[in-house]
Amino acid sequence: MSEQDTPTDAPSDVVTTSAIDASDSLAPAADERLLYRSIFQRLFIRPEVGAIIGIVGIWTFFWAVSETFGTVGQTFGWLDTASTVGIMAVAVSMLMIGGEFDLSSGAMTGAMGMLIIYLVKETGELGGRGFPLVIAIPISLVIALGIGYINGFVVERTGQPSFIITLGTFFALIGLKLGLAKRFVGQIQIGRTDEAADFDFFRLIFAAEWERNTHELEVRDALYIGFIALGFAILALAISELWFQRREKMQPAGLVVFFVGVGLGVGGLLGLHATDGVGANAALVAVMAIGGFVGLFGWATWRYEPSVDHGAMSLDSQMRRRVGLGLAAMVLSFIVAIVFDSSSTHQIFFPFTTQGVRVILYLVFAGIGIGLIAMASQAALSVNAATKFVVTSVFALALGIVALTVFVDSSDTKFRGSLFGVVLAAAVMVFVWAVLTFRFAERRTGSASADRFGARLLALGSVLLFVGIAFRMLFITAEELVAGVPPAKTSVRLLWFILFTIAMMWVLARTRLGSWTFAVGGNKEAARQVGVPAARTKTQLFMLVSVAAWFVGLLVAFRINSIQANSGDGQEFIFIIAAVVGGTLLTGGYGTAFGGAIGACILSIPAIGISSARWNTDWRFLIVGVILLLAVVSNKFLRNKAEGIRR
Amino acid sequence: MSETPLLQLDNISKFYGSITALTGVSTQVAAGEVTCVLGDNGAGKSTFIKILAGVHQQSEGTIRFNGEQVMFDSPRDALDTGIATVYQDLAMVPMMSVWRNFFLGSEPTSGIGPLKWIDTKKAKRIAKEEMAKMGIDIRDTEQPVGTLSGGERQSVAIARAGYFGAKLLILDEPTSALGVRQSGVVLKRIVEAREQGLAVIFITHNPRHAYPVGNRFLILNRGRSLGSFHKSEITVDELTQKMSGGAELEALEHELHGSGATS
Repeated sequence: MSEQDTPTDAPSDVVTTSAIDASDSLAPAADERLLYRSIFQRLFIRPEVGAIIGIVGIWTFFWAVSETFGTVGQTFGWLDTASTVGIMAVAVSMLMIGGEFDLSSGAMTGAMGMLIIYLVKETGELGGRGFPLVIAIPISLVIALGIGYINGFVVERTGQPSFIITLGTFFALIGLKLGLAKRFVGQIQIGRTDEAADFDFFRLIFAAEWERNTHELEVRDALYIGFIALGFAILALAISELWFQRREKMQPAGLVVFFVGVGLGVGGLLGLHATDGVGANAALVAVMAIGGFVGLFGWATWRYEPSVDHGAMSLDSQMRRRVGLGLAAMVLSFIVAIVFDSSSTHQIFFPFTTQGVRVILYLVFAGIGIGLIAMASQAALSVNAATKFVVTSVFALALGIVALTVFVDSSDTKFRGSLFGVVLAAAVMVFVWAVLTFRFAERRTGSASADRFGARLLALGSVLLFVGIAFRMLFITAEELVAGVPPAKTSVRLLWFILFTIAMMWVLARTRLGSWTFAVGGNKEAARQVGVPAARTKTQLFMLVSVAAWFVGLLVAFRINSIQANSGDGQEFIFIIAAVVGGTLLTGGYGTAFGGAIGACILSIPAIGISSARWNTDWRFLIVGVILLLAVVSNKFLRNKAEGIRR
Repeated sequence: MSETPLLQLDNISKFYGSITALTGVSTQVAAGEVTCVLGDNGAGKSTFIKILAGVHQQSEGTIRFNGEQVMFDSPRDALDTGIATVYQDLAMVPMMSVWRNFFLGSEPTSGIGPLKWIDTKKAKRIAKEEMAKMGIDIRDTEQPVGTLSGGERQSVAIARAGYFGAKLLILDEPTSALGVRQSGVVLKRIVEAREQGLAVIFITHNPRHAYPVGNRFLILNRGRSLGSFHKSEITVDELTQKMSGGAELEALEHELHGSGATS
């Protein structure tokens, strides 16, 4: 076939080159086939997207079924577990991206905690030397690095799977922990860290605590609502910037409208802070919402190209059927919700009560309704602007019906308040979005400056939301103190977790080690051929995991002051599960540090959630198993979808 | 042809135990020239490349690079000397982005002391520019290499080798897995590399790909050299015939015509 491609009797280079030149038209042709991928499509194919959906889902689930889950104290509770699991999960994620496993990572956390205590303890001629921590900590760090180095060295030298090599290290560590503990202290528990002379100073670094109830801040709620509102507003601007086509020439009139909107929003916020009546609150929230809409509309008028050709609405039979059936299902769900008596606890048949049946029926009908309408609006996206506007509005209406149902027929104030608010806000946002996308032209081409500005706004908005939530969680108001809010406290380990995750995200994205990690996990031979020191990179990753284990060991030793010899054993699987739930590929070359951190949070929520729902805590294993299966299946699905978009 | 060729091979042989993979192969390649190595499966092409790329060492014979006798102990060694090899299976990590692949192993960094970070802006810009020089407009250098076509991947590999100062580029069967148009793209890249003053060794089993771009042809058959010819000394038909053991193919062609299998 290819023989016909180039002339066979070309005597000179001139003819040949020009013949090959004919294929030059290939490059632009290939480009035309390359569809424009908006930043949302690119975000959607990130490995951790499944995990983010997962954490929202599992959090909402436990929030709905338990009385206290979602309070500040409980949130600090699961974040505390997530911190130690997460530091390990982030390191393990990186090792797995590099294509290796470390089964000794769990046992190592306990071993490192014990080591520290040995070093600071005076147990006679055999045992520790009674070092101060300032000496003990560096010594233990060196030993941790050594263990990681040995893991990496043996794996690289033998070329055997790290799974089996680190299984050996795992058992060796377990044996050492038990044997040495019995030998030195005669029992399998060893304490205490605070025998060290300089314990108090290091305690501040590794185990300082923050008691929420002793930190009063009167303006907390104003700051909280202010940051959250500002954060959401900026996120809305960011999404618009990424979504719409910029104008050639800005329209200053829009800017005036924008500031009117901002004024309304700020006015609503100040009013909210000043008043206390429920009715006034609702009115002022409405003012803020209107302000937000006006501001967004003004911003869009200022910056973005209006949409010209809307087309006429046309629903094909399938879309019409879906919209019709969907709306019918929504109405049915509403009827189900009112017909059943929500206060009855009568058991229809085990284990379902009237209330349970009602909830299940409601969820089924509402799920079908929302699902059908969502499918219809997905299909409407590719028809024309008018159709899209109508179907998206129907979708907003369906969400509105959900909110209404929740409001009129929920026995629980939690649902009547928060859930109603969130769903109603979602309905309003979908409708606003329908209006904006109808009114303004979507961007169909790449624009580096818009992408950059939008991404910056996105980051700024996220940070503002984070700061707002942090204020809410860290401080208490006098009012709450009087009302007797249960005490909540958090530890510095959460801060370490956040910092470590950010640092590792940076390492993966911006350093040679990060690039090489992906390379040795993705195609080790290729990496080696272009001069990547593959063995060294993998050894460094093993050492990273052992240093993380050392740090977590320190955190535990400082928190509970004594360590059991079996501490951490078996946790290695939790770390691996967290990494996989976070979107890291078992076979290497793909994944993120952030995903591992989110995965750790997902795995830490059930333990707290189950106990606050007053179920038997043994169920948590079932939940972990189901989460893992769901994550593997959905990550595979998302990845296929991602590759579909890419090609 | 220049006076001293960039690479001069004399009587290269390679034995794996009792198996003779290559015997008495000699050829040369000069800067700004393409030497094509032709041969059917099992002719010894892979062994030939591996010796030049530093994966294996020759059992006999000498390699001269820039007139100096050399012996490569490792792929890195060959790379440092200025010999870049683009393998058939491509030294690329499919799940990594174009710019990361382009700079893999030699990332430009900024920062002080042990705290160094990759200068991503610079890396992306250079990757884009270098690909543009090759005539390929990579709009988004963040896209994974796995999404590129085979020809584009070859082009990334060739552009990378050129950018990192390779003097001799070895291409292992770059067109064998490609369609007609993509092969055309890669052949054009070879011509461009040659015009930029690189010496190129182009390994292929397709004389119709080799002849238009090559200046010199080394034909291998069952581990033996059937001769190294300058373009002026040989026609494409002779090349095809020598490569495939001529007579057999001719007989086959007659047979096929006779039975009416071809129209």
